Amino acid sequence: MRVDRIFCDLPTSALQSFENIKYATAYPKGAVLFVEGQAPRGIFVLCKGRVKLSICATDGKTLILKIAEPGEVLGLSATVSGKPYELTAETIDPCQVNFVKREDFLRFLKDQPDACFKVAEQLSDKYNNACHEVRSLGLSHSAGEKLAKLLLEWSSKNGEAAKQEPRLKMALTHEEIAQMIGTSRETVTRLFADLKKRQIVQSKGSTLVIRNKAALKLIASNN
Amino acid sequence: MESAIQQSCFECVLRPDRLFCDLPSDALEAFDLIKSLTLYPRGTILMREGQPARGVFVLCQGRAKLSVCSETGKRLTLRIAGPGEVLGLSASLSSSPYEVTAETLDNAQVAVVKRKDLLHFLRDHREACLQVVHLLSQDLHTAYDRVRSIGLGRSRRSRAPHLH
Repeated sequence: MRVDRIFCDLPTSALQSFENIKYATAYPKGAVLFVEGQAPRGIFVLCKGRVKLSICATDGKTLILKIAEPGEVLGLSATVSGKPYELTAETIDPCQVNFVKREDFLRFLKDQPDACFKVAEQLSDKYNNACHEVRSLGLSHSAGEKLAKLLLEWSSKNGEAAKQEPRLKMALTHEEIAQMIGTSRETVTRLFADLKKRQIVQSKGSTLVIRNKAALKLIASNN
Repeated sequence: MESAIQQSCFECVLRPDRLFCDLPSDALEAFDLIKSLTLYPRGTILMREGQPARGVFVLCQGRAKLSVCSETGKRLTLRIAGPGEVLGLSASLSSSPYEVTAETLDNAQVAVVKRKDLLHFLRDHREACLQVVHLLSQDLHTAYDRVRSIGLGRSRRSRAPHLH
């Protein structure tokens, strides 16, 4: 799987020195890898499983920024800059993770230009994602619009994009989806009920089928 | 523009204070060869959100407003970039469209570097690549701060006392 992953597809020499500094660890579901505000200890390369990345307000309100997939490097910008972790990372599956201590990682980047380039690419991807998040939170008019955008984004993955009626596996609860679009659980449940009533989406167990992609796109574009 | 256009990065007295510009001589020499210095009047769009990334814009003098736009044309200012900043970096590296629009707020002196030249330069000069990693980390911190303030109504500054 290494070749498909931005960070992992390194030349042999870089991979060899990475092997020497990494600690391979297995985490159960629900384990917290790092907490927002903590001093950075190092990076976490996600090999298997998924991780929820969120930010939290003092009143407990949580915003999920992203579900990280295998191949992603977590805690990267904080580890490079030395500033506290920006996000909280919590496993949502049993995960296999390679941890690298901050000082080892910084030395590795200095010694391995190829790895340095890969890290720049990963950071660029993350920046792209953060801008997308700002756009969605700051410029979407309604929770309905944000939910429609999220469903379209999810349906464009795993080779479903070209299908007339894309299917997506609903891995998150209504509560978690609410935290992704900055609204309440009740609103998400109400929005799903409305989409189903209008036959725009249909539930089949834990799979959601988008029956009317055009209508969903119309909602997403605030029309 | 107050001063005449400065042709070489070696002549720039502000260089040591700027994260990207403070490079070793050989890297600076190579950078001088690939950059094209341009003066832009106030109000110029350097890059537009959604357009394919053509390259990066190093702000030598002047400021630029970075913003994002919704499909309906509503605009949100992300931040104001100052001298020494490199704009369009993440899009150029990931070969994705520009994430933001950058518009000059002053008459600006800008070093423009084509995407292809930048990629070669970063592969050949590891110090520059490291600086870029630092710059991108900073950009990301700022972007997350913006997400936090829009999504949860707070900023890192207001959160700082809770860390202790």
